[in-house]
Amino acid sequence: CVLHCWSLFVLLLMCLDLHTLVESAPICAHGHTGCHSPTLSDLFDRVIQHSARMHGLSSDLHSDFEQYFLPSRNQIGRINRKCHTAYILTPNGKENAQRLAREELTEVILKLLAAWRDPLSQFHRSMARHEDFTSISGNKALEMSDMVHQLKNGVEKVAEKMQLLGMISNSLMSLSSTEALAPHSASSEARSMSDYELLYCFRRDSNKVQNYLKILKCRIVAEHGC
Amino acid sequence: MMSRDSGASLILSLLISAVLDSDGLSPPGKPRLTSCRSPEKETFTCWWEPGSDGGLPTNYSLFYRKENSDTVYECPDYHTAGRNSCFFSKNDTSIWVNYNITVVATNALGSNFSDPVDVDVVYIVQPHTPENLTVVLEDEDNPFLVVRWEPPRMADTRSGWITLIYQLRVKLEKEEEWEEHFAGQQKQFNIFSLHSGEVYMVQVRCKPDHGFWSEWSATTYVKVPDYISRERSIWILIAVFSTFIFFVFIWTMHINRNSVKHFLLPPVPGPKIKGFDTQLLKSGKSEAVFSALVIQGYPPTSYYDDLLVEYLEVYDNKEQVLMLDRKDLQESLFKSKSSSDTDSGRGSCDSHTLLMEKCVEPKEDQTMMPQVKDSEASRDLVMKNDSNTPESTNVKTKTWPTICSSYHYDQNPCYHSIPEMPRQCHISSNHFASTHQQDYWESPADIYHKKPPSGYRYAQAYSEFNIKGIALKEATFPASKSLEYVEVQHVNQENTLILKPIGQEGPDLFHAACTGHDYSRVNRVVSDNVFLLQRDTSGQCHSDCQEREAPVRSCTQQQPGKPADHLQVPRVQETHLAPNGYVDTATMLSY
Repeated sequence: CVLHCWSLFVLLLMCLDLHTLVESAPICAHGHTGCHSPTLSDLFDRVIQHSARMHGLSSDLHSDFEQYFLPSRNQIGRINRKCHTAYILTPNGKENAQRLAREELTEVILKLLAAWRDPLSQFHRSMARHEDFTSISGNKALEMSDMVHQLKNGVEKVAEKMQLLGMISNSLMSLSSTEALAPHSASSEARSMSDYELLYCFRRDSNKVQNYLKILKCRIVAEHGC
Repeated sequence: MMSRDSGASLILSLLISAVLDSDGLSPPGKPRLTSCRSPEKETFTCWWEPGSDGGLPTNYSLFYRKENSDTVYECPDYHTAGRNSCFFSKNDTSIWVNYNITVVATNALGSNFSDPVDVDVVYIVQPHTPENLTVVLEDEDNPFLVVRWEPPRMADTRSGWITLIYQLRVKLEKEEEWEEHFAGQQKQFNIFSLHSGEVYMVQVRCKPDHGFWSEWSATTYVKVPDYISRERSIWILIAVFSTFIFFVFIWTMHINRNSVKHFLLPPVPGPKIKGFDTQLLKSGKSEAVFSALVIQGYPPTSYYDDLLVEYLEVYDNKEQVLMLDRKDLQESLFKSKSSSDTDSGRGSCDSHTLLMEKCVEPKEDQTMMPQVKDSEASRDLVMKNDSNTPESTNVKTKTWPTICSSYHYDQNPCYHSIPEMPRQCHISSNHFASTHQQDYWESPADIYHKKPPSGYRYAQAYSEFNIKGIALKEATFPASKSLEYVEVQHVNQENTLILKPIGQEGPDLFHAACTGHDYSRVNRVVSDNVFLLQRDTSGQCHSDCQEREAPVRSCTQQQPGKPADHLQVPRVQETHLAPNGYVDTATMLSY
């Protein structure tokens, strides 16, 4: 019996996925019985943690860039061009964000996340080509690129849950339409951006996403943490 | 010419500047933006440091441009935040927008622009200090501090717009170093392990997830009342208990100090030898001590001769054919094997006697013994029970016929036979074999017994005689190397000379005396059972012939002396003198 218990324990350990913190965990399908689906609050906590991690990575990479790549003095702290996500109307203040409807806020988040999938993979590829960049930064870039994708999935799950719970109306556009609405010029514009510009823009946009999610959570799930 | 003009203009400009400087008038110095901060991520303020004013009233103005817009705006509020500051209200503040801010200093003489600064409000957030810091002492018996606070008023954490994390620090009033604790997002914290009767100081501050730490809040003082901590009381209890245990332990050791001493310092064990008396040794009588160790009879003194001698000395005569009855021989051998073997070192002397004895096969005849004993009175004779003789003889000679013959054949000067005497060898036809087997001679040595045979007879057999009871022939005994000699025991009715070997009962003596071809010469007969042997000056057999219980040997004496009356000499025609001048005692018959 002891041997069986021990072997079971070892198997359990092996099966444990230690990346659940940063990955969006699979959520049970609607209406399935016997499956303990996480609450909306848990879902929100997960995506918020995920977005915080993503933003942290982008901040680190940005500071690394400023340190080691030494862009010209007139470039530090600003870029000359607009971010390619400028077409997305994002609330620039608390009132604006609170004035926005939940559906719209969710939509903005999803748009932002969708807009950054390709540019980040591009960024990662260009990072790999840089000899000066350390491997750690390269890993961060890769992780960041993956995180965007996973975060988007997570937010989609949250949106689904919200729609299921009736907290938001079903007027939320689907993902495909979200991406379709993106102007074609945005992607081309992203391709022409330099690495530093990409990092600068992404750092900002990840902060936006994190903030919007927090606002959304506190608006929908009224907890004492809010 | 030219140089004179330039020099003149230079001097002129210098004069003008000197005049102006003496008045302190100059365009303003370059201002510098020191910092921009937002307390709640909804408004922000920028401060600048003015340069030199140049002596004239200088006006400072702040201009900013928003990201990707060329519109230049001026600071909306110069006063709210104090001097040399610009306060951006909520309406003017856009988050996630890059502000390009410049300060211009202007006076009557000129203006001066500061270096532009790019600001994104998100990254310049520094909240106010937390508010409503309360420290409460709870649980009088084991008190601890409960510290509570509120976030800064302006920071909107409730809507999730801004997330703050807190940190507090504590120290005793008299100490220097603060003890910092990280509280995370919670607004409460407990402090344990307080010193009784001390005053504590508590402070707290906060920070947004991406931003700057706020200032430390106002210090809150709290006094901890006097109390005995549970921890200390427990230690006191443990100390008392262990002291008690310790004393009990010491007392127990004191009671049992002897056994403890034995345990720790075991006594050195003395020697343990059987029979060894240490007290005796201490008294100094070493001999007595060591004598006790001596075990009688150890080591077993073996008669090495016994061991050495396994074989009889056998002198083979060609004329003789030895017959053997193997089977009977073995039987007799095994029978007599049980007794000890004292046939040691007899040498040829003894071996001959041995063989002679064996010839007769000394059989333990109880009936004979008394006779022998009786014959002690008349020791000169060996009385034989004639009734027993035939069978004994038969039996005896059964197995040893040829030995006898060989014996007689191998006689040395030691042996003196009486040729005239008819000898009879009783032969058993059954066992007569004309085979000479060498190994036969070995066995007699093993089975030779020292027990003096009560009586025996000898039978001589010649090879010619292979018939039982055949008449005798005169034995002619060629001179041989025989070392043995026999003495005539008696003459039976048939005129047969019964011989016996000499020195039956005293093999040891003989052994000692006779080695090899030794024999002794009888000096005289002293008494009934004593005859003196003369020492052989030639270095041969020496033996001290002492009292013999066995059939008495007749001792020859050189001196003229009458032989004892008990000596019955058979009709000896002549005394055959041994070649070396000795008279074989065998010739002197004794009955």
